[in-house]
Amino acid sequence: MKAGQLHRRSFLRFATLLGLSAAVAYEAIGEVDPTLSAAKADELPKGGNLRIGMRCMEIKSPHLADFAERSNVIRQVCEYLTFTGRDNITRPYLLEKWEASDDLKTWTLHLRKDIKWHSGRPLTADDVVWNLKRVSDPAVGSSMLGLFTGYLVEEYETGEKDKDGKPKKSSRLWSDKAIEKVDDHTVRLNAFAPQVAVPEHLFHYPMFIIDPAEKGSFGPGSNGTGPFELVEFTVGKSAKYKARKDYWGEGPHLDTFEFIDLGDNPGALISAMASRQVDGLSEADAVQINAMKNFPHVQVLKVETTQTAVARMRPDHKPFGDKRVRQAMRYAIDHDKVIQTSLLGAGISAEDHHVAPSHPEYAPLPKYGRDVEKAKKLLAEAGYPDGFEIDMVTRPDPMWEFNTTQVLAEQFKDIGVKVNIKALPSAQYWEVWTQVPFSLTAWGHRPLAIMTLALAYRSNAAWNESGYSNPEFDKLLSEAEGILDANKRKVVMAKIEALMQDDGPIVQPFWRVFSTVMDKKVQGFKLHPSQYIFANECAVSA
Amino acid sequence: MVAFLAKRLVLMLATMLVASFVVFAVSEFTPGSVARKSLGPFATQEQVDILTEKLKANDPLPVRYGRWLGVLVGAIPDPLQDPTNGLNFSDPRGARYFGNFGYSTLYKLPVNDVLWDRLGNTAILAGLAFALIVPLSILFGVLSGLKEGSGLDRTLSVLCITFTSIPEFASGVFLVTLFVILWPVLPGTSPLDPSGGWSVPSQMVLPVAVLVIYDFGYVARMIRVSMIEVMEKPYIRTAILKGLSPRQVILGHALRNAMIAPFTVLLLQLNFLISGVVVTELVFAYPGFGRMLLEASLFGDISTVEAATLVTVAVAIVTQLLGDLGYMALNPRIRLR
Repeated sequence: MKAGQLHRRSFLRFATLLGLSAAVAYEAIGEVDPTLSAAKADELPKGGNLRIGMRCMEIKSPHLADFAERSNVIRQVCEYLTFTGRDNITRPYLLEKWEASDDLKTWTLHLRKDIKWHSGRPLTADDVVWNLKRVSDPAVGSSMLGLFTGYLVEEYETGEKDKDGKPKKSSRLWSDKAIEKVDDHTVRLNAFAPQVAVPEHLFHYPMFIIDPAEKGSFGPGSNGTGPFELVEFTVGKSAKYKARKDYWGEGPHLDTFEFIDLGDNPGALISAMASRQVDGLSEADAVQINAMKNFPHVQVLKVETTQTAVARMRPDHKPFGDKRVRQAMRYAIDHDKVIQTSLLGAGISAEDHHVAPSHPEYAPLPKYGRDVEKAKKLLAEAGYPDGFEIDMVTRPDPMWEFNTTQVLAEQFKDIGVKVNIKALPSAQYWEVWTQVPFSLTAWGHRPLAIMTLALAYRSNAAWNESGYSNPEFDKLLSEAEGILDANKRKVVMAKIEALMQDDGPIVQPFWRVFSTVMDKKVQGFKLHPSQYIFANECAVSA
Repeated sequence: MVAFLAKRLVLMLATMLVASFVVFAVSEFTPGSVARKSLGPFATQEQVDILTEKLKANDPLPVRYGRWLGVLVGAIPDPLQDPTNGLNFSDPRGARYFGNFGYSTLYKLPVNDVLWDRLGNTAILAGLAFALIVPLSILFGVLSGLKEGSGLDRTLSVLCITFTSIPEFASGVFLVTLFVILWPVLPGTSPLDPSGGWSVPSQMVLPVAVLVIYDFGYVARMIRVSMIEVMEKPYIRTAILKGLSPRQVILGHALRNAMIAPFTVLLLQLNFLISGVVVTELVFAYPGFGRMLLEASLFGDISTVEAATLVTVAVAIVTQLLGDLGYMALNPRIRLR
């Protein structure tokens, strides 16, 4: 590694990308792979039951998993091809290794040969090909489609017209050879454009490898390659698991594992921890942590994430069609005050472009702060000298989201924008989140910024809630996705970030610090920035 | 008597019909279609349109209400369970039977699988609370009503009013702080699942306590007023003058008459306990009927809300009927009607 030229994390990322194992890459920079040193699996106690408090939402299909909670229920049974560690470095998982061609268009995925489904059948390349093809089918509706679009999946016009007379669009794999079986344990991805984030994409929430025989369904008894078998699952109540004896990977150290649904009331979670009815929570916000940190049996865990919330504005609705209005909204915000008020300080300031300082491709831009005068001037130029009034849709829980909306609304008031907060229950919010002109949406952690950008801002992406469509942005993003050299990619990222600050559809106040609590008897648990829970790593002492 | 009961039954059916239609009509105004809710937020618009078509969800309101009634009485099969719509919804009782409340779009289960389970849980909670509220409120009401304005009356009245005026969420948090955090003798939540190391009976203590604290004072006040009134009646004076012991006067003469008016109030508490326990169930994460109704309403799960409405109305009307019958038993003059 040439001193100073490459960020440490970038080096690790690209060393592993090129087929070096994470352990070897860490060795090259004189460190020990943190996942290896932390996992002294042999020393963990064996047996017992672990209960974690988490919402148990209904699950339609693993390939449609959208919330961390939903995917956590599936994760104990089904697995990913890759694994992005807590250090944001992606390693092979069901894969033994991967190889990328120099132009980043051909990816060869080598499957481990020692993996068996619960049913006893070995995992084969056919299974993997079926899964990759299924998530690429627009009829399935998986958000993987948004990630695959631009290198494996292309858009085409169906020939039909919609109500407004515009041609209807759909997506398909760009070629029959896009996802190809080489032999029983090798799969090749043949892309039409270079893509650097393939290993990270394969760790995205819904990219579970499921048994083709189950046709995409999931429930108790479902087949999987994972460490546990799902025994019982009741929406709104619990998910119960039994450890599998012949698991190929680490653990499971527990005999049984449970998720318990304690409802939406944050107080009930504290009560359940206090009386040890659960051994941990999937998430606890700053207020809950304050209430629980003094319990003698509780340990607090924190991890920096790229979780965030964005106030996104649809440019196809008035008044957000004018980019000066969107800029004014950005200048109206005092990021630090939002963090103090709505997160009790548990966050770091963001720069309105959805690329976090902890992302390896982050390029620092000149900072800009709150500027009410400038915002007012921009509004006046756009034809709103007295500001305007607008509805902002949000959810009443989690609390930090609602608080953020309120603080933002207060700050928008200072530039003459009157915001009426419309709080919708979560279920109804997710009905309209891609349609309403102005809303606040929480976004999960992604190891690479280009992943979030591709999911949320590429034209016509499945999760493009703001309806943002900018050919220049799409072009720059595709360009960034194809650059291997970190320094060169940062040059493009700087352009993307500046474009988002100039033209983008979001006001983004912060990056969250994610926290939770566990009973001190829980061992081996490592808080993952994605909120992913891997019960096979956990153990309980008597 | 038969005519009276028959009249009541017809009235009950009519009320349930009207209530269910109102719920159906009101649900028109909540955003989101049945198809969207069945498929989830990330299904494509195309999929939603196809399912909407299959479910005939764009028919006029009276037609859809008629269809729902048809499913309920078993005249037609539930369209959500039709295998051709690809939702994989299935009911072990079949798609067509009497009392088919349809399929819950929130819990992804037949409403009958969710409803009766949850109602049973709440019935246990309400039953235990009621079993404590009745004797406590009678005791407090009679004691303070015996001598209006006495020291005992004042003390008990203050106690009753204070307890009744503490909202359930406040007393819930207060009790949790006391008995879960400061002096950990009770579990803080009640998922009715014993594997957390706390028995199910121990999980009932706090929610029942919250309900009793909130409710008994109010009923006691009603009984107190009625008791005061009765104690001023001439026949009580006669009874005392003819030398009966206070015990005989109260139990033999006063109590029966004093209970006539509060009896209805007591039965009304059953309504409150079945459908009004939402707050308590939320505070203690209790898997009950109130929480189900709240979650289903917020989600817009029409089938579940409809079923819950029918149950709530039925409970209200049956307790009213019981109230009237009890009134007759307590007050012979009413029987003449």
